[in-house]
Amino acid sequence: MVEFLQFTLSGLSFGMVYAAIALSLVLIWRGTRLLNFAQGGMAMFTTYIALEVIRHTGSYWAGFVVALAAGVVLGAAAELTVVRPALGKPELNAVIITIGLLILLEGLAGIFYGGQYRSFPAAFSVIGLRVGSTPLGVSRFDVFVALAVLAATLLLAVGFRYTSAGLRMRAAAFNATVARLSGIRVARVITVGWALAGLLGALAGVLVTPSTFLYPNSMDSIFVFGFTAAVIGGLDSPLGAVVGGLLLGVVLSYAGGYLGSQGSDLTALVALGILVVVLMLRPHGIFSGARVRRV
Amino acid sequence: MSSPAGPPEAAGAQGAGGAGGGSASGDGASGDGAGGGRDAASLVVEDLVAGYGEVVALDQVTITAGAATITAVLGANGAGKTTLLRAISGMVRPRSGRVLLDGADRTGRSPEDMARAGIAHVPEGQGVIAELTVEENLRIGMMSWRGLAPRRADRAAALAEAYDRFGALADRRRKLASTLSGGERQMLVIARALVARPRVLLLDEPSLGLAPRIMTQVMDMVVRLSRENGITIVLVEQNARGALAIADRGVVLNLGRVVAAADAKTLATDVALRHHYLGFLAGAAQEDRAT
Repeated sequence: MVEFLQFTLSGLSFGMVYAAIALSLVLIWRGTRLLNFAQGGMAMFTTYIALEVIRHTGSYWAGFVVALAAGVVLGAAAELTVVRPALGKPELNAVIITIGLLILLEGLAGIFYGGQYRSFPAAFSVIGLRVGSTPLGVSRFDVFVALAVLAATLLLAVGFRYTSAGLRMRAAAFNATVARLSGIRVARVITVGWALAGLLGALAGVLVTPSTFLYPNSMDSIFVFGFTAAVIGGLDSPLGAVVGGLLLGVVLSYAGGYLGSQGSDLTALVALGILVVVLMLRPHGIFSGARVRRV
Repeated sequence: MSSPAGPPEAAGAQGAGGAGGGSASGDGASGDGAGGGRDAASLVVEDLVAGYGEVVALDQVTITAGAATITAVLGANGAGKTTLLRAISGMVRPRSGRVLLDGADRTGRSPEDMARAGIAHVPEGQGVIAELTVEENLRIGMMSWRGLAPRRADRAAALAEAYDRFGALADRRRKLASTLSGGERQMLVIARALVARPRVLLLDEPSLGLAPRIMTQVMDMVVRLSRENGITIVLVEQNARGALAIADRGVVLNLGRVVAAADAKTLATDVALRHHYLGFLAGAAQEDRAT
């Protein structure tokens, strides 16, 4: 029972990171019908930037804030420079471009920072919390991870739901033609979407890297899990992205915990299994509203 | 900014014989309040050429819509009617020719800019955003308002006006637009276009798929928008008879060219034209609707 609680809590903590990546993918998918394969690479890059800032200033929070800002800039810059020219062309073009961007970012990180593993500091203690003498399997930092992603998600949700800018983004995502005819500058909205996605990716990067080390490919596996989470939830649904992330995090944690020493090697396989099962039962993902549009 | 509501010479020349009776010019002024304070504007399309790839969909099309008049654009499928509206609203970039709004050249502007300049385009079908609520759909109409942050009171007033005009929408304001019937959707799309306080309204087949009774309501409303609110309306319709009955002026397109442009009454009684391009006989309105 105690084990179960530990696995659940640590799974939720990792799941929050997958959720953040999934949410960033959903933001871009809704705006442009494009999967940003560079999302993990962008997060890796902004985490390197955070590490540099932390080194020079000695302040974790300076690095944290700069990483988020860098994520915004990187997201918007990527959209404006390499993605926009490909929009409206065959979809594969943009996909190849984001893969190219991933390779570019990973290459640049290797050139600037080398390939060795670097440790990245955590904002709070990573020593496991205990209730009495029972370890909970999560640390203060894990709680911070969960709260940070939760706060970002809620802010986004409220912003989308209740602000005029949020309405513009939803309108542009659901029906770009009507949005443009109504005076919404859809191109600008798409750039903002990429910037927000960059911010979420950067957040995921600084939150997960204390547990994984930092190296040019360090976000690859996190991206794959985030992508899986997004597909499970239905690529259109922000709520689905969060639920998908948490579901995946928990199940992977059980697999890693209960399957013993082989468990951690099996996580990728388990993730694939979940993906296959969900897509068989609900081909559009758990929370997709795609059918509404086909009426 | 623009000239007062008095129509430019074009409207004077064309509107006088309009089928709807009373000249549009006088009413244009009284519509200021409901129209959001913008003056009525004329719309002129000059020698417009537009197309898709190799295909030329519009060939040297010239249309003059006087301020606060209704211009019906008629023709068979593929005649270029929809492309004409798309070229006016900026969805299709013209290859040559000009689009003048109240005398100002707006050719080649983006749809966003056209909307902000006061042109509201209601595309055929698919006009509502089904995933948003009725009220959110209406609020999208405010996105073309000038100024960054419209006052809360202004927004509330615009919504109240829309609900006042379309009572059925008021009861459904929190419902998703996907739950509306076809007629209600068409109402919502038009209501949203009006929230934008347009000077020119481009309507693409507003009666398509509607029950005859609702179709009549829509047509009545189009007349009121022109007469009472001073909105210049360009109406694309398959239902040529219904459109000509309310229009001041009619334009017939065939294979991307203007083959006739005259007072609506004249067109409605032109037997040869009807046979060639409009395909309806006097008293055969049912057939007409079925197409």
